[in-house]
Amino acid sequence: MEFLVNSTWLMASEEVAEAGAEAAHGLSFAGLMFYIAVTLLVVVGFLAVAKTGLNTRFFKKPTTQLLEQLYVFIEGLCVNIIGPHGRKYIPMLLTLWLMIFTGNLVALILHAGPTADLSFNLAMALIAVGYVQYEGMRANGVLGHFSHFAGPRLPIAMALIITPMIFIIEIISETMKNVSLSLRLYGNIHGGHEAVVAMNKLGGGWVPVGDFLFPIKLLTCVVQALIFCLLFAVYLSLVTHHHDEGHDHGNDEGHAAPAH
Amino acid sequence: MSQSEVNKAPSAGSIVGMIIIGAAAVVGGAIIDQQKMFHGMEDSLHHMGIPLEIGKTIATIGVFLIMFKILHLFFFAPLFEAINGRTSELENTFGEAESLRNEMTQLKADYEKRISDTEASAREQIQAQIKEAQDLKKDLMADAQRKAEEYKQQAIAEIDAEKRKALVDLRIHVTNLSLQATEKILSENVDNDRNRKLIDEFLSTVEVKN
Repeated sequence: MEFLVNSTWLMASEEVAEAGAEAAHGLSFAGLMFYIAVTLLVVVGFLAVAKTGLNTRFFKKPTTQLLEQLYVFIEGLCVNIIGPHGRKYIPMLLTLWLMIFTGNLVALILHAGPTADLSFNLAMALIAVGYVQYEGMRANGVLGHFSHFAGPRLPIAMALIITPMIFIIEIISETMKNVSLSLRLYGNIHGGHEAVVAMNKLGGGWVPVGDFLFPIKLLTCVVQALIFCLLFAVYLSLVTHHHDEGHDHGNDEGHAAPAH
Repeated sequence: MSQSEVNKAPSAGSIVGMIIIGAAAVVGGAIIDQQKMFHGMEDSLHHMGIPLEIGKTIATIGVFLIMFKILHLFFFAPLFEAINGRTSELENTFGEAESLRNEMTQLKADYEKRISDTEASAREQIQAQIKEAQDLKKDLMADAQRKAEEYKQQAIAEIDAEKRKALVDLRIHVTNLSLQATEKILSENVDNDRNRKLIDEFLSTVEVKN
């Protein structure tokens, strides 16, 4: 009995190690570029078809109507979360949405895709967080932006101890945004593939049980793109909020609010 | 932030700059991946189950930067332009409708004012006519009354004259009758001046004062 338990553990650990090694390799550079090219081809193709239906009257073409709906959705996201000044971020959010959502779809259909690769997702996260920092510095100035990380203004004795700690924590927090954004997307998309592969084994190679997860994975594609863009908009709103837009800073007495 | 600011296509300088930076990032990423510059760190991450490759990440950033500007220039700017054009056209249409509505409201107010002015004027004219008619009626009534009074006075005078004439005639007739009767009774002619005087005196004593 003990032998059976030990051998089962051994087999399981080998499988996990193999899966880990396989996952750890991910796509090659050329492979990732290929899937990015496929994603871009789909995005550009969709946009090119949609562009032919543009006019100043009424969009009759379904793809143009779909693009308009996407624009309205992203505009709503920007205006509702960031504020009226958030409209200027629509191009960036549209690009991010199209890249991530289409990347998710490519990964869903081809069983491998850019968003199933952590390097791609980290690039998206670095772009998002870097853009947020850039906009924060543009909105508040370099010193003003970094003073957000120092927390509230404190008496000198407390500030000497607490402000550096808050500053370090905030910097770590900002850095971790990259990790959270990229790992969340990677985990969901890559995890979905792993779940399909694992469940397909239940069918003994005859019944593709895992493929029944397709609707959930499709939902995941939408939700993950939405979460990424939503968080990006929230990060932007935190660093670019305007005092004249009705935000109440109440007891901060004119002190810079923390970044989040 | 107005919609027209979003509508702006990226400037040529920013596009060229971003494409250069993006291309440099792609090439740099490829070189990093080729040369395995972060091999040690990547290996240790791989051992932890984190399949991260810095070269791929940098190259992806480069691709994104290039695509961001290209998509913005060729697809998003026309989309924003079309949507903003449609919005402004709708706003213009609504603006025109609003101005037309205001014009109609103004016209309606003018017409209503004109109607009320006309009604007031007509009312004034009617009142003036009524007053004039009433004055005329008063004048006519006064004139009629005056004329009636004149006729009445004239009639009374005529009546008096006729009455006096009748009384004279009657007296003469009575005198004649009396004389004829006396003549017959006395069988003599009493038609002399003295007798007439006597009769007159008699009649004067019996005449009723009127």
